[in-house]
Amino acid sequence: MRASAPRLASLLLLGPLLAFLTLVYLLPFLGIAEWSVTLPTPGFGQYERLTGDSLVLSVFLRTFRICAIVTVVSVVSAYAITYVWVRGSRLQRSIAELCILIPFWISVLTRAFGWLALLSNRGLINAWLMGAGLIDSPLQLSRNEASVILGMTHVLIPFAVFPLASAMRAVDERVLLAARGLGASRLRIFWSVFLPMTASGVIGAGLIVFVFTLGFFVTPAILGGGRSIMVAELVYLRMFQSPDWGLGAAVSVVLVLIVGILMALLFRLARPALMGSAR
Amino acid sequence: MNDAFQKDCLEILAGKVERGEISRRRFTQIAAMVLAGAPLALRAGGARAADGQLVLVNWGGDALKAYDAAYGQAFQKATGITVKEDGTGPTEGAITAQFKSGKPTWDLVDADPFSAISLGHQGMIEPIDYTVVDKAKMRPGFAWDYAASTYFFSYIIAYDAQKFGKNPPTGMADFFDVKKFPGKRSMYKWGVGMWEAALLADGVAPEKLYPLDLKRAHDKIAAFKENVSSFWGGGAESQQVMLSGDASMGLIWSTRASLLDKDPSGQVKFIWDQGLISPGALAVIKNNPGGKANAMSFIASTTDPKKQLVMFDMLGQGPANPATDALIPADQQKYNPVDPANMKKQIALDMPWYAENYGAALDTYTKIISA
Repeated sequence: MRASAPRLASLLLLGPLLAFLTLVYLLPFLGIAEWSVTLPTPGFGQYERLTGDSLVLSVFLRTFRICAIVTVVSVVSAYAITYVWVRGSRLQRSIAELCILIPFWISVLTRAFGWLALLSNRGLINAWLMGAGLIDSPLQLSRNEASVILGMTHVLIPFAVFPLASAMRAVDERVLLAARGLGASRLRIFWSVFLPMTASGVIGAGLIVFVFTLGFFVTPAILGGGRSIMVAELVYLRMFQSPDWGLGAAVSVVLVLIVGILMALLFRLARPALMGSAR
Repeated sequence: MNDAFQKDCLEILAGKVERGEISRRRFTQIAAMVLAGAPLALRAGGARAADGQLVLVNWGGDALKAYDAAYGQAFQKATGITVKEDGTGPTEGAITAQFKSGKPTWDLVDADPFSAISLGHQGMIEPIDYTVVDKAKMRPGFAWDYAASTYFFSYIIAYDAQKFGKNPPTGMADFFDVKKFPGKRSMYKWGVGMWEAALLADGVAPEKLYPLDLKRAHDKIAAFKENVSSFWGGGAESQQVMLSGDASMGLIWSTRASLLDKDPSGQVKFIWDQGLISPGALAVIKNNPGGKANAMSFIASTTDPKKQLVMFDMLGQGPANPATDALIPADQQKYNPVDPANMKKQIALDMPWYAENYGAALDTYTKIISA
């Protein structure tokens, strides 16, 4: 926070955003929080039910497991793609750009169905494998947790690319040249110089992806075969399918709290990296 | 916030929706969220009900056009009251949200009868006025206090004709028998009809089904679930599962099975045996904006066999009025779930049982399938 910026001006600039967030996010959320302690009877009964509800617990665990895997896979893949996009030749850059942007522009729903067309029993991959005589009967490639992870990773890579790209573009070329001049191998330069300098981007990308995946609904619903239920769908189930608003609200509140705690933790952990890359 | 201002906000927003500046669906979602906690009362729905207008909420897709063609236009000609279709999907939670907003924007809902019964007991649904709606034009046992029968569909066995064409399945026991009928299965994600299927396969006699022995049904499903490649959540998805070969047999809606049956590939066929008949119904939200009387006279207008025939042609829904059966051409009768020949092979789901027990049963079912 730079003290040189007049406080009033920054408040004026932030005002519309704060008002908007208060109106469409904070107030409704407080309403949900109120439901969680008033429906059907006042008190913290719903939160007690949560801790003893095996469905809620298993869904939370599955959600975190899937989110963790998707985050790691997305950030690692995005790192490689971004490296090519930022530091490759002109041709490599154009190809990388196409690979990043085209999926980014296609709707999440369309892409989920695209994966089904590829992975289902009469899908392209099975047809090709059977045509080549490699397998006798179709492989069950879709409607399971692996296909959910694949579909989600595909959606989230572009979101990881942007923070990584800004971190990589901020790396001073001269530092890398200096390292080379001092006799470091390419691998050594990457490990000891380039990666630490882009660490803040990696943490930023990981945060963005993780928080995004927590709220995913469409992709797991389509690619999960109805079995890989994640938190967002659990809330839907509780709000609409078997109405139990109190419990649904409690699940929502717990999810927001977990995200909040994670953010606080990660910012704390990322601070050195963030400060380190301050230019 | 005073009422005049609220109303003005609503006019503006509703105008926006009507001009297509915000999508109805998006707007309804936002409004529902805002309503939850914001003092600013944005109490307009997807379509705004008013005098001389009724808003009918169904499950969207092809049903939007069908309801308009079969019932909406005729009702407007006869009474001058416009019927607007909205495809938001009247789940129990959505109807509750409408009622609790204090100013519902929906009039009629194409709800599961058990939802209507359960919400009716909670005082959110108007009792059907059977002095206006003619009970005699419905099948016996399908006119409830809070919901009037409008159509039928069934949960039936659809199968891969390339695999089992020469020796098709004959009932639920075959569906649960992967030795005799190899391959994966697909079942319904929201549980309805699946408990009955498991119990029938386990040897329970059709007339002894209710009250359902849930423990026995869940044990059967838990033991079988590794053979289920997917639990479908919507009609289009169930068709896709069968066509893509991801399941060699599926318990799916007869409306979708009929579409698959008519598909030139001839890949998927279905049987009526041990099908589970599920009634669709119209219900009226209490304090509905268009008025109770208009809503009841709309429901009465839907009992006309000629109109129900349009619904059968467009959606494959079985007619609520038995007089409609005879109007269906001979070559189409095999697609009518309540045609006398098909109906006697099937079992009707017990709506009052569902009104009492569905929530808890679905909870356990979801736990089992997602474990």
